[in-house]
Amino acid sequence: MAHGHAVKRYSGLMDWLTTVDHKKIGILYLLAGGFFFLVGGLEALLIRIQLWKPLNDFVAAHTFNELLTMHGTTMIFLAAMPMIFALMNAIVPLQIGARDVAFPFVNAIGFWTFFAGGVLLNVSWFAGGAPDAGWTAYAPLSTPTYSTTHGLDYYVIGLQIAGIGTLVGGINFLVTIINMRAPGMSFMRMPMFTWTSFITSALILFAFPALAVGLAAMMFDRLFSGNFFEPTNGGNAVLWEHIFWIFGHPEVYILILPAFGVISEVISTFSRKRLFGYSSMVFATVLIGFLGFMVWAHHMFTTGLGPVANALFSIATMLIAVPTGIKIFNWLFTMWGGSIRFTTANLFAIGFVPTFVMGGVTGVMLAAAPADFQYHDSYFVVAHFHYVIVGGLILGVFAGLFYWWPKMFGRMLDETLGKFCFWTFYIGFHLTFFVQHFLGLMGMPRRVWTYLDGLGFNNLNLISTIGAILMGIGTIAFLLNVVITALKPKNASNDPWEDGRTLEWTISSPAPEYNFLQTPLVRGYDAFWKEKMEGKKAMVPAEPIGPIHMPSPSILPFVMSVGLFIAGLGFMYAKGDYGTGIWASILNNHILAIFGLAITLGCMFLRSVYDDHGFHIEPDELHGDKGVKA
Amino acid sequence: MANQHSAAEEKKHHKHEGPKKHIIAFIFSILLTVIAFAMVAAGEINTTFIYFMLVLMAILQVFVQMGFWMHMKDRGHVFPIVGILSGVVIVFTIVIMAEYWAWW
Repeated sequence: MAHGHAVKRYSGLMDWLTTVDHKKIGILYLLAGGFFFLVGGLEALLIRIQLWKPLNDFVAAHTFNELLTMHGTTMIFLAAMPMIFALMNAIVPLQIGARDVAFPFVNAIGFWTFFAGGVLLNVSWFAGGAPDAGWTAYAPLSTPTYSTTHGLDYYVIGLQIAGIGTLVGGINFLVTIINMRAPGMSFMRMPMFTWTSFITSALILFAFPALAVGLAAMMFDRLFSGNFFEPTNGGNAVLWEHIFWIFGHPEVYILILPAFGVISEVISTFSRKRLFGYSSMVFATVLIGFLGFMVWAHHMFTTGLGPVANALFSIATMLIAVPTGIKIFNWLFTMWGGSIRFTTANLFAIGFVPTFVMGGVTGVMLAAAPADFQYHDSYFVVAHFHYVIVGGLILGVFAGLFYWWPKMFGRMLDETLGKFCFWTFYIGFHLTFFVQHFLGLMGMPRRVWTYLDGLGFNNLNLISTIGAILMGIGTIAFLLNVVITALKPKNASNDPWEDGRTLEWTISSPAPEYNFLQTPLVRGYDAFWKEKMEGKKAMVPAEPIGPIHMPSPSILPFVMSVGLFIAGLGFMYAKGDYGTGIWASILNNHILAIFGLAITLGCMFLRSVYDDHGFHIEPDELHGDKGVKA
Repeated sequence: MANQHSAAEEKKHHKHEGPKKHIIAFIFSILLTVIAFAMVAAGEINTTFIYFMLVLMAILQVFVQMGFWMHMKDRGHVFPIVGILSGVVIVFTIVIMAEYWAWW
């Protein structure tokens, strides 16, 4: 053997804690993201129960603020982002014919830091109050002057840690997609989901540093008496708004682009047609990504930027409707004349199209600066962004999960229960949010704890709450489906939908740990479909069967994120307002914080000095897999 | 088997040109730094001129660092260049917009 050292193989829980396999990390992302999705959903239900009738006092006003803040923060950062990363991890390397991502170790760090940040953020519920300044945490509401509890500290530090995970994940996928495509897979032959993941990763690379800087500045304000956003000491509260939205607007495109990719794949597969206007889809994706950075101030029209800035940002925002419209028409033309199969995945995808158009139309309405003065901070805005995020991203994620479930777990989700899930969720969604447009136009302000009787809000709020419960039933149906499916035998074939077009359907379900026994040779767009159309059953291999290099599992990413978690807590409670005696002196002298950072830095040191070259799976170990016959 | 791996890895290695260019680049970048410090330390030079020269030397320094030490001048670095340029475009747009139109 060329490489003498024994291969470390863990099993059980240790396997999941140490894994660097992109498929397992994808499942971890799905589990964690799904868990936070349920937490955020529960918060949403509590919000809707509070608002179902006028002058309700189901939760206290302060608790309501915490609920709406944590609902937004959890859903965006801890549910939507990880579910996107779950799909990207599970599918992108398979779609480009790679054996793993470029940096498997960094991939594990990405997951564990996200998870540590997410848990830290939610610990706030049990530690004297969650953040309560809205998911945007606008200064001066979030400055120490107006927020004296530790809630916003958890927001600042939790998101900072989770943000590290997202940033390194984005970089990892950029490098993977640029460098690890199979022979023959040029950029213009990449599947649409890979393209959108690529652009999303680029947006993460440019947008998340802005958030990191903003959060660092906010951290200095809150923990070390800084004055970045403290107007009384010469700071500037509007600066936070700019920084937050320079990150925040690209963030919404980070969220929606992978959903666009999923929809493109699903509609194309289940229409049994090549995606209409592939190159215009790519162009539109790139253009959306670029324009996404030039429109942040449309969140701030009423801040008083002046007519020139408002007009510029207004026009830039409306421009985004052009590439998005291109995409919508491409999906419609893909379906046109196709032999459409209404599987659950395709129902979600087809349901996505009109829903997203409605979200887009209200988006253009909001982009008109003079009109925005009416809509601003009303339920109209709430309706708009739930139409694009739930009606866009979440429907896309559901479509992707139903579509790729066999590839991730080797089992097909139940279609009957799936369709029940779709209809309850879809009807519930429109019931919840459609009426909120009118609530907003009638003047109901956003983030309001309760409202008076006789304003005409009662019926619409009741309808909205009923819709939210229906969405909850849909989500429970999905969970039930997952449990029932998990009890069935693992019998999904390589290409369970039988119309698979891309490389992930050429390998077994779930994929073996090395993905491809032999790297496939890609001869065109929709590589697998092209081979099928020429009467072949498999891809042409681009290399002979040989030893496959694999990365070693490692516990370091997990320990590093635990270190950051401890350091985060240590910094938060070093303000001299917590603990007594020796405990207080440990906290106030930053000893706990330094201890946490030492763990993380120690892991980085170990990783740097100890060379781990991974191991090889030799051809004689690859029993059962006889390679590609062509 | 071991040969297979190393043969594949060897192919990817670039041809090295020797240390000559790197030494020149190293001396040049130190020179830029020394001039910058000396200019400010001298204390008798027109301030506007110093600002101008500092920015100029910073730009030159970026080119030296990126080109020689980050290997941007070599072949196969299109993606880093595209990435850095799009980053620069985005940051400049944000700074200009914030400075002239959006600042409050």
